[in-house]
Amino acid sequence: MLFNTTQFFVFLAIVLALFYAAPRSWRRVILLVGSYFFYLSWNYKFVVLLLGLTVVDFIAGIAIERAPASRKKLFLLISLAANLGMLGFFKYYNFFADNLAQLLRYPSHSWTFSIILPLGISFHTFQSISYVVDVYRGEQVAIHNPIDYALFISFFPQLVAGPIVRAREFFSDLYAWKHPNQEEVLRGVLLIVLGLTKKMAFADQFAQIADSYFKDLSSHPGAFAAWSGVLAFAMQIFFDFSGYTDMAIGMALLLGFHFPVNFRRPYLAFSITDFWHRWHISLSRWLRDYLYIPLGGNRHGRLMTYRNLMLTMLLGGLWHGASWNFVIWGGYHGALLSLERMMGRREFEKRPPLWLYPLRALITFGLVSVGWVFFRAATFADSSYVLSQLIHFQGARQVQALLPRWLVYMTFASLAIAVIEEKFAWTERLSRGPAWAYAAFTILLLLTIELIGVTEKALPFVYFQF
Amino acid sequence: MRALFTLILTVCGFWAVEFALFHSSAYSTILRHDSSTGSVETSLRNELRRTRNNPRQILTIGDSRMGFQPRIGNGMHTGYEFASIALGGATPRDWYYMLRGADPSANRYSAVVVALGDYDDSETAEDLSVRAADLYYLIARLKYSDIPEFARSYHHDPKLEWAAARGIVLKGLVYKRDFQEFLLHPTARIEMAMLARKDSYYWVYNYVGPNQNMEGVAIDWKNRTLTVPPGFTDAQKAAYELRFLAERPPYTGVNSAYMHQWIGKIYEHYRGSKTRLVFLRLPRGPFIRPDQPEVNPHSSIREMPGVIIMPEHLFDSIERPGLFVDQMHMNGPGCGEFSRILAKEVSRTLDAL
Repeated sequence: MLFNTTQFFVFLAIVLALFYAAPRSWRRVILLVGSYFFYLSWNYKFVVLLLGLTVVDFIAGIAIERAPASRKKLFLLISLAANLGMLGFFKYYNFFADNLAQLLRYPSHSWTFSIILPLGISFHTFQSISYVVDVYRGEQVAIHNPIDYALFISFFPQLVAGPIVRAREFFSDLYAWKHPNQEEVLRGVLLIVLGLTKKMAFADQFAQIADSYFKDLSSHPGAFAAWSGVLAFAMQIFFDFSGYTDMAIGMALLLGFHFPVNFRRPYLAFSITDFWHRWHISLSRWLRDYLYIPLGGNRHGRLMTYRNLMLTMLLGGLWHGASWNFVIWGGYHGALLSLERMMGRREFEKRPPLWLYPLRALITFGLVSVGWVFFRAATFADSSYVLSQLIHFQGARQVQALLPRWLVYMTFASLAIAVIEEKFAWTERLSRGPAWAYAAFTILLLLTIELIGVTEKALPFVYFQF
Repeated sequence: MRALFTLILTVCGFWAVEFALFHSSAYSTILRHDSSTGSVETSLRNELRRTRNNPRQILTIGDSRMGFQPRIGNGMHTGYEFASIALGGATPRDWYYMLRGADPSANRYSAVVVALGDYDDSETAEDLSVRAADLYYLIARLKYSDIPEFARSYHHDPKLEWAAARGIVLKGLVYKRDFQEFLLHPTARIEMAMLARKDSYYWVYNYVGPNQNMEGVAIDWKNRTLTVPPGFTDAQKAAYELRFLAERPPYTGVNSAYMHQWIGKIYEHYRGSKTRLVFLRLPRGPFIRPDQPEVNPHSSIREMPGVIIMPEHLFDSIERPGLFVDQMHMNGPGCGEFSRILAKEVSRTLDAL
C-alpha cells in the first residue's frame, strides 16, 4: 500500500475517522492495529520479524533499566545483536557471502540465498537501537506498556522510510497527546498534498528520464545525455524522498504527533557539510549520535576526526544498500566532508556572502550530483562509465531527447520556490495566514498533481528499497 | 472552525477551477486538433458551425471505414444536404455521445445514417466494451451525470471502470498528456488550434482520399494463402492475412450486448423524434471471406422498430481490390463511388416514406 495510491488514502481516512471517533484510551490500539494492517498489506510474512524485534527491544529496555550497572551492557548487547543480526542477515548476508566467495575464488553465488529484504528494516532497527541505547545511557526511561512501544516501532507514517524518530520525541507526544490545533491540521493537509505533488508530479517524471538513461547507458552516449540522466536522478531522489517525508510528517501532524524535519532544501546547500545538515537530517542525526560521537567524534585530534567522518559515512553509505557502490558513495561524501574540515570547518559551516552563495551552491550541487552516480548506477562498471561520459562532450542532441523543456522549466520553478522558502519560510506561514492564500497554493498543487503527475501507475518510493 | 473553513474553501476552489477549465469549453479551444479528444471536438464544432443551406439535413456517422464524402453527396443534388461526423477509431459508444453533442434535442436532422461493419453483431477481434481509448475520445463530451452509465459500461474491467469514473470527475487526469504537450510548444499549439478552428472544416470536406489500391493482391481461399505483388511490404501482407485468413472470433455474445447497449442508446435518443435512423452495412473489404457470419435475427438493429435498414448488399459493387487502399479502407475512387450510392439510395429511401 504505497502512499501515492487511492487504497492508502482510503486507509488513512478510515484510521483518522476511527482515531478521532474512539475514546482516548482506545486510540493507541487503533493506531497500532492500523500500523500492523499497513505492514501486513506489504508482506504478511515479515510481520513476525517486526513483532519479534519489538518484543526483544521492549524487554531489553526494561531489563537495562532494572539491571545493576554491571549487567546493563549485557542486555544492550543482546538487543544490538538481535537488531544488527537481523539487519545484517537480511540486508548484507548475500553481499558479504558473495564477496567472500569471490575472494576465495569460489563461484560468485556459491553461498548466497534468495533473501527478500523486509520492508523498512533499516529504519525500524535504527529506531529500536536508538531507543535501547538511550535507555542504556539514561537519556530515556524504559517503556513499560508493550502497546506504546510497539506503536513507536510500527507507527505507519514513518515505518517504512522514516524519518527516524527518537523515542523521547515520540513518547512526549504520545503521553502528553494534544488534539492538533487549527494550524497543525492545515499544515498537515498541506504537507500531504505537497508531498504527493513532489512524488507524483516531480519525482515520477524525473524518474522516467533517469530510468531511461541508467537502464540503457550505451544508447545515450555523451556528456549532455549523462548530465541529463544524472541531474534527473538528483531531482528524482530529492523529490521522491522529501515528498515521502512531507507526507509522513503531515499524516503524523493530523494524528497529533510531531516528527522532526528531515529535509531543509538540501540543494541550496553551500557546502557538503551544509548539505548533510539539510539532507535526510534524521539519519545524519542518528549517525552523529550513535556512531560518530561514540567513535570519538572530533575530540581526539584532526586525523581521528577524519577517520571518524570516513567510517561514519562509509557505514552510512552501506546502510543504504548492500553494494560497493553505496560504500563508495558514502566514502565519497566522507572524503568531501574531511576535505572541508581540512580546509577549515567554519568556512564550510558559515553562510557565504550573498554574491558568493550561488557559486558555492552550484559547486555543492554538482559534487552531490556526481555522487548520485554511485547511488543510482547498477554496478561499479556502470558508475565508471557514467563518470567518464560526464566529461565526454559529444552527442549534444541527446539533451533534448532526455530532458523535455517543460520539465526543465519546472525544475527552475521549484528552485525559485525553494529560494523563496529559504528566505521567508512561506509554506510554514501559509497555515497561519489568510484562508485564500492557503487555498490558492493548495489548489495549485492539486492541479499540478492532476496535470503533471504520473497517475497511470503508482511508482514505489526510492527509499522503500532500503 | 478556521481550519474547516479553509479546507472547504480549498476543495470548493479546486472544484471550481477544474470545472472552469475542463468541464466548460475553455480547454477545448487549445486542444491538439488531431488528438483523440481533439478530433471529436473539431468534428463536432465544425458540424455545429456549418452553414445549413437546406432544411433537409442528413448526418452520417461511423468509423474510419465510413468513407462517405459529403462534398460528393451534396454534388448529386438529391434534395438533401449531407454532413459527416464519422471519425477514425470512433466506436458505437463514441457515436452515441457524439450524436448527443451534435444534436442534443434530436431535431436537427431528417435522418442520421449509421454505418456498421455488419448487421449481425458478430464478434470483433477487440472487445469494444473495455476500449480505454473511448474515454479519451469523449472526455470533453462527458458530464458528471454520465458517470453511472459510461463508467458502468466498463464493468468487465474494474480498473477501467474506476479510471472512467475518476476521469469524468477529474478531467485533467485525462487531458494530462495533451496538456504536457501544450507546455512543450504553447505558442505553436495555440496557433495550430486557431488555424484548425478556422480551416479544418475544409480540410475534411475537400479531402479526396488516397489513390493506391490493392490490385494484384490474390487470395487462395482453399489453401489459405495470400500473395502480394512487388511494392507491398511484409507488414501490409501480414495485416491482410490477419484480416482475411485468420480465424473469426467465435460468437460469445459480448459484442452483441455492447451493440444492444450503444446502438440502443442512439435509438432511444431519436425515438419519437422526426429524425429517421438509417443503418447501412459498409463494404466488407476488397475480398469477401467465404466464412461470412450467420444471420442473427436478434441483432441490435433488427429488433428496433421504425429504423431503416438499407439492403445488406447495397455496396457489393465496391468490394473490389481496385477500390480499396488496404484491407479495410476504401481509396479515393472507392469513397467516391460509395458516396454516390449512399447519397442516391438513402435520399431515395427517405423520399419514398
